[in-house]
Amino acid sequence: MERDVTPPPDVSCTALAKTFEGGTRAVDPIDLTFEEGQTTALVGPSGCGKSTLLRMVAGLDTPTSGTVEIGGAPPVSTLRQAGLSMAFQDPSLLPWRTVRGNIELALKLARHRADPAEIDQLIALVGLDGFAETRPAELSGGMRQRAAIARALATRPGLLLLDEPFGAVDELTRRQLSQDLPRIWEARGTTAILVTHSVSEAVQLSDRVIVLSPRPATIMDDITIDLPRPRAGPAARSDAATALTDRVFAALSKGMAERSAPMAAQ
Amino acid sequence: MTKDLNRRTFLGTGAAALGAGTLGLGSARPAMAQTAVSLQLSWLHSAQFAGSYIALDRGWWAESGLAVSLLPGGPNAPVEPPVVSGTALVGISAADYTAAAVAEGAPFKIIGVAMQKNPFVIASLPANPVNEPADLVGKRIGMALANTPVLEALCTLNGVDIDGIDIVPTQYSAQPLLAGEVDCLLCWETDLPVAMDMQGVENQTMLMADHGYAVHSQTYIATEDSLANRRGDLVRLMSGEVRGWEAYRADTDAAARLTLEMHPDAGLDLETQKLQAARQVPLMFSELTDANGFGWWTDDTVAANVETLGLLGRTVSPDLWDRSILEEVHGT
Amino acid sequence: MTSLTIHRPIGPAIERRSRAALGPVVGLLVLLAGWEAAGRLLTEAFVLAAPSEVARYLAAEWALMGRALGVTLTNAAAGFVIGNLAAVLLAAVALVWPRSEGVITGLALLVFCLPLVATGPILRVLFGPGPGPQITLAALAVYYTTLIPLLIGLRAAPQSWFDLVRSYGRGRLSTLVHVRAMASLPYLFAGLQIAAPAAFLGAMVGEFTGAQRGMGVLTVRAIRALDVEMTWAIATLATLVSVAVYLAIGAVARRVLLDEPPVILSAPAVTGRRRRRDGWIDASLVLALALGGWAGALWLFDLNPFFAKGPHDVVEALFLAPDAAATRATIGAALAETAIFLIPGYLAGLLAGAALAMLLILVPVLAGTAMPVAIALRSVPIVTTAPLVVLLIGRGALGTIVLVAVMVFFPTFVACLQGLRQAPGQVMSVLDSYAAGPLTRLVRVRIPAMLPAFFAAARMAVPASVLAVTVVEWLATGAGIGSLMALSASLSDYDVLWASVVLVAALSALGYVLVGRVERRVLAIYAPEQLA
Repeated sequence: MERDVTPPPDVSCTALAKTFEGGTRAVDPIDLTFEEGQTTALVGPSGCGKSTLLRMVAGLDTPTSGTVEIGGAPPVSTLRQAGLSMAFQDPSLLPWRTVRGNIELALKLARHRADPAEIDQLIALVGLDGFAETRPAELSGGMRQRAAIARALATRPGLLLLDEPFGAVDELTRRQLSQDLPRIWEARGTTAILVTHSVSEAVQLSDRVIVLSPRPATIMDDITIDLPRPRAGPAARSDAATALTDRVFAALSKGMAERSAPMAAQ
Repeated sequence: MTKDLNRRTFLGTGAAALGAGTLGLGSARPAMAQTAVSLQLSWLHSAQFAGSYIALDRGWWAESGLAVSLLPGGPNAPVEPPVVSGTALVGISAADYTAAAVAEGAPFKIIGVAMQKNPFVIASLPANPVNEPADLVGKRIGMALANTPVLEALCTLNGVDIDGIDIVPTQYSAQPLLAGEVDCLLCWETDLPVAMDMQGVENQTMLMADHGYAVHSQTYIATEDSLANRRGDLVRLMSGEVRGWEAYRADTDAAARLTLEMHPDAGLDLETQKLQAARQVPLMFSELTDANGFGWWTDDTVAANVETLGLLGRTVSPDLWDRSILEEVHGT
Repeated sequence: MTSLTIHRPIGPAIERRSRAALGPVVGLLVLLAGWEAAGRLLTEAFVLAAPSEVARYLAAEWALMGRALGVTLTNAAAGFVIGNLAAVLLAAVALVWPRSEGVITGLALLVFCLPLVATGPILRVLFGPGPGPQITLAALAVYYTTLIPLLIGLRAAPQSWFDLVRSYGRGRLSTLVHVRAMASLPYLFAGLQIAAPAAFLGAMVGEFTGAQRGMGVLTVRAIRALDVEMTWAIATLATLVSVAVYLAIGAVARRVLLDEPPVILSAPAVTGRRRRRDGWIDASLVLALALGGWAGALWLFDLNPFFAKGPHDVVEALFLAPDAAATRATIGAALAETAIFLIPGYLAGLLAGAALAMLLILVPVLAGTAMPVAIALRSVPIVTTAPLVVLLIGRGALGTIVLVAVMVFFPTFVACLQGLRQAPGQVMSVLDSYAAGPLTRLVRVRIPAMLPAFFAAARMAVPASVLAVTVVEWLATGAGIGSLMALSASLSDYDVLWASVVLVAALSALGYVLVGRVERRVLAIYAPEQLA
């Protein structure tokens, strides 16, 4: 079943900034490198520009200034080699395709051969066994998001971008997925960037957490998470984990205070 | 007006040839080369044009080398444009419409007159009859408002005060008369009275032509260009018409039957068509045509037309009528 | 792995389907019974044939009717295919070159607003004998109602679907194949459903230009002969065929699609944020292209200036000629007369459509019955109903107003009912929590939710009502601009005819734009998301 796995790249952003047409500054010039094979979480308050940052990395938004390089090349060439997968905040499943059909479409777009057994495996992994032939309209919001994650993993990307992937997933499933999913991309050595506003999720899933300020996004803190895995259950409540979580919260609060005086009262 | 005719004429003839081919008209197919020409009728197929059907059916045009297409009209099919553009060599119009078109710059001539007498009548019921124009005073007349000039002309010709007549705008239908909403109708001799007869309603008509309303109807029109350059075709076409209508006169029932045979999809009723065909004869044939042949007119009848048309607001010159084709046909 | 509870809405779907199947049957039976009763009551009046009489007539004349139907259907089908292909082509151009969309839709609207009375004879001269005008008018009757939904449909996908395709490094072609084409299908089908009866109508009107045979020919015969049974039989047959085609396309759509096609077909007046300047540039371009195209077509086809008037002739007739003032007065009077029928009918149709939709929301039992019947009746061809309404109500103002209202009513009703049902469930739940009654819900939530659909219908109803009023005036009442156009054609007064055509088309397009303006104002308050 082995197939070419795109080698995991590193991603470097140099003086990357984005100002929208109306003049809104989403991201102020930022320098950031995502290490190859690492999982990095971008944490920040809603609307801080972290999704914009992710979209620039994916080549979906053009930076106003600065550059993004993936494995030393611009994002476009990574896209052309289909070395990248993104799971969107909105699951973006095509409603006229079944769960399997949506995964197959991703493989087709990425010019990969579809392997039915592997698709079944992925579907089972995200807890959707029995729903392979179901259309998105008949799935709950959480189920749709899981299907979207399965789709993102199916093309075996070297770089995996996840934008609030568990937003609509219920607490219990989220815990399960947080345990199961990283195993897959870690085993493949994938470089993963995760955007989330959940501090606990960031600490549990990543090797590194970057805390962003409210808009325009600047880096408030860059924290290495060197906890042993698996991190679910008792491990999540360890002193080390608590300390790291507190540090993330502190950075978040500081960012809030700097950006807006009234918010600092909270 | 004729400067642009050539290209259209060419295209038009081509289209007519195509039409004749696809419609498969003409039962006899002689070996001689056929010239395709079209005759634009003024309404949907019915016994109103049965003389032409006879000419077509008996192959009289084909014998003379003409492949004639009879193009039906309709509510959205004015006759003048196809004749002006050359799609049709000849069109069936009426003196008043032709005069209007000429006033707008169309180079038309009337080359034959099928209806010597205008078919407009005042239809009424025997219990409350309109026998002469004076009877109209104090009556309610049902008609389309667009025909008001026609009534005005009739009144002027007969010294009747139109203000004494109550004009009621109605749909073109016998129903308001039957329902007693009006006392009489302004209509054609060949349609609403026929419809009432078919329903067994006794009725009577006063032909306006008998009271000075002289407007030639079902006239054949052609362009000056055709008269100059296609005389042979015009003569052959009109010869067929003359023969066809003489045969029609001999047996109107047969003409009605042929109409239904040739146009099974027109939704026609045989008995109605027979009645209509018979009623048309007195309008088309007279001592004048007996003496000179079908389609004929004299300077006197033209003068009467010019006068009536004047009352309708149309200034026309007797030049509008060109008898040269008929003269060739009838060999005078 | 934890087990997850999933709610699959299969139960309600089945329930909905069975009710949908029963509704039209009940509605149809009620309709038939009322019609038969009225027919029996009015036997003496020569206006109404009962269904039993119609059935008898059809049984006796089935061969004649069958042949006519075959001819008209063939032409309608050809026009349907050509018109829809043209719509797809135009939509493709707008997609490839987005800046052109405003001009394309503007020109398409203008051409769509051209009155049939005027285009018919010109087409006949262009094509000569044969089915050319029938097919062309059928195509002209369908392309706009397909183009507009298609343009919406090709964009009717969330940005993230396009992002998804791009994130795998694929371009516009993949987007078109995998996202846009599929996303536009429901809209395309909805457009085709409306187009099918319109094509039939176009083919029938085309036959008025001098066709040998067909349903249009028989209609003229029946109207002129005041053959009540034949008139009603033709109307019945035309309606049955139109409804059957409508349902057939719906059935195909259901096989292909996951959901019913959307019933609301028109996008908000302006999609996307557009600059006012662009609007003016587009309008000027549309005007320039329309005038250029008009003059160009006259030149290209070498049409005789006796009946084919160019822009300069119309300007001459309206402003420069010695009798220009009289011409303006004639046309103005006719337009005013038409407006007296048109505006009350238009407004009455809109109000009645919206009101009945609201009533049905309050009394939901009726909705399942009324909705399919209304959707079906929307496709009844106007040329066959015009004589019927005149038979029933007479040639007076009321008959015309009623007919216009009917033409506006059905699409408005269907759109409004859809709109009312789209009230967001969560907002309804909030009102539930305050124990709000059905009336409060209607006023506070459903009506605002209905407004986009209402205005979309109101806009599309502008050309439809102009078509209705001119056809009735032309075929039945002999009043107003419709009659003036017919009369000026028969009297060879082509200056007046063309000037009338220009004014009617321009005023229709203007009315459409004006309703769009009102729509923007209202939606800015009640449904700002539609304008974003």
